[in-house]
Amino acid sequence: MKNFWYLFAAYTIVWSFIFAYIVNLTRKNNALREELHDLQLYLEKIVSKKEAPQ
Amino acid sequence: MHKDLNSFTALMSSSKIFIQQVLALLAKDLKTEWRTREIFTSMFVFAVLVVVVFNFAIGADPQVIRKVVSGVVWVALVFAMILGLQRAIQCESEEDCLHGVLLALHDRSALFVAKVIANVLYMLLVAVCVLFLFSIWFGIDLTSCFFALWIVLVLGILGFSFVGTLFSLIVLHTRTREIMLPLLFLPISVPLIIASVYATASLIEGKSLTDITDYLTLMGVFDVVFLVLGLLVFDFVVEE
Amino acid sequence: MLSRSAFTLWRMIHAVAMYVVVGLALWMIFVYVPSEKGQGLVQRIFYFHVSSTFTMSLAGLVAFVASIIYLWKKAPRWDNIAMSAVEIGTLFCALVLITGSIWARPIWGVWWTWDPPLTLTLVLWLIYVAYLMLRANVQDDTKRARFAAVLAIVGGVDIFLIYLSIRMWRTLHPKPIVIQEGGTTGLPPSMFWTLMVCFVAFLLLFFYLLRERVFLAQSRHDLEIIRQEIDDTLKG
Repeated sequence: MKNFWYLFAAYTIVWSFIFAYIVNLTRKNNALREELHDLQLYLEKIVSKKEAPQ
Repeated sequence: MHKDLNSFTALMSSSKIFIQQVLALLAKDLKTEWRTREIFTSMFVFAVLVVVVFNFAIGADPQVIRKVVSGVVWVALVFAMILGLQRAIQCESEEDCLHGVLLALHDRSALFVAKVIANVLYMLLVAVCVLFLFSIWFGIDLTSCFFALWIVLVLGILGFSFVGTLFSLIVLHTRTREIMLPLLFLPISVPLIIASVYATASLIEGKSLTDITDYLTLMGVFDVVFLVLGLLVFDFVVEE
Repeated sequence: MLSRSAFTLWRMIHAVAMYVVVGLALWMIFVYVPSEKGQGLVQRIFYFHVSSTFTMSLAGLVAFVASIIYLWKKAPRWDNIAMSAVEIGTLFCALVLITGSIWARPIWGVWWTWDPPLTLTLVLWLIYVAYLMLRANVQDDTKRARFAAVLAIVGGVDIFLIYLSIRMWRTLHPKPIVIQEGGTTGLPPSMFWTLMVCFVAFLLLFFYLLRERVFLAQSRHDLEIIRQEIDDTLKG
């Protein structure tokens, strides 16, 4: 039990780094997915509007 | 038989053109340098400064000095070369003549070879001056291992030039050149740094060439690998 | 290209598998496997430390191969894969160095030595960082991808020479006085299987992160394209 805090520190660091990276990635990915989806809809709207008068 | 002869003469003539273009580029670079002598003087002065500062940093104990001499020499040379490459690249980007040169070339790797040769020449000149000063200032006898020392110097400088020239052309297009060139160059050159320093140290200690064959082999392999790699990827580096 | 629903299904399966195996790995590390006799509790760092080594090397290999394919095929997707692999490689390389240090302190008494594996890992980390900094400093997209690919290939070939030279260098220096071997040779079965499960866990983790990161890069690219299309449609 004597070097417990070293063990704890090591695993905490591994966990924090990986967790932070995953959270960062997922957050950016979700935001981008939403933005892409919105822009796609917008594009479709303005394209149909252009073709509508004809 | 006729086809073989044709392809052979074609190969010969393209090699001749290659050599001619390399020499032409080399002459241009050397002539420009001879007019201003910017690159050589900055490299030489910097190397000297490094040696002087190290002298203060290490202290006066001759035993300690003997142990670190080799390292100091190569640190001075490597950093002087990085400085020289930075200056050369600055000249290239200011005049923007790289474009025109590349268009005129039959085989673009001629530029790589020419630049490497120019760099090696500057470095050898700097090395001569630095080693001369070294032997005087630190009382190190270099005459006994003179010939062997030059083999190690040439192998080392050649390898550093291959890596340095390749990366200097990459770094030409980056924003923060001053840090990018050392950052790219140094970790990749670690094998050569280690081998050069320890080969030189062994020679200064009094060992002969046969004792350092493993270092020499590593340096030789490094040089060949980076010559081949340099030629292979050069087209990708200078493509527009 | 996979349809949207198929992609998300595979993503979910991957994520679930990952969590399950990581959970199993953690259980094995902290409950199942017995403590090592010489080093005690701290030795358990070894499982994640070695697994991270495996991942950082795999990342390097992926980046090397992807860079060659990029220079050959010139498809941006391969550049995205190389870049993502290097990013993840930097993360795991840093973890190797940090967990290694934390493990070394109680066992060897020092935070660091210039032993071959440690020095090699440090130089590898520097090369990964150089790659990322190079990418950050080049403005033009195609140039950035090409230069990065060149660096990855040069680095990949060089790593063997670096390994040889560091080994040559190190045989001259005395080893630190207090060193007990970590003992990876002749592992008892319980430790071996714990390590294997950790390898699988980290493998799944690596590919999950790679996939997410590549998707991020690809999405950014797609976003540019859609923005351009919208601009064109509004103007034209």
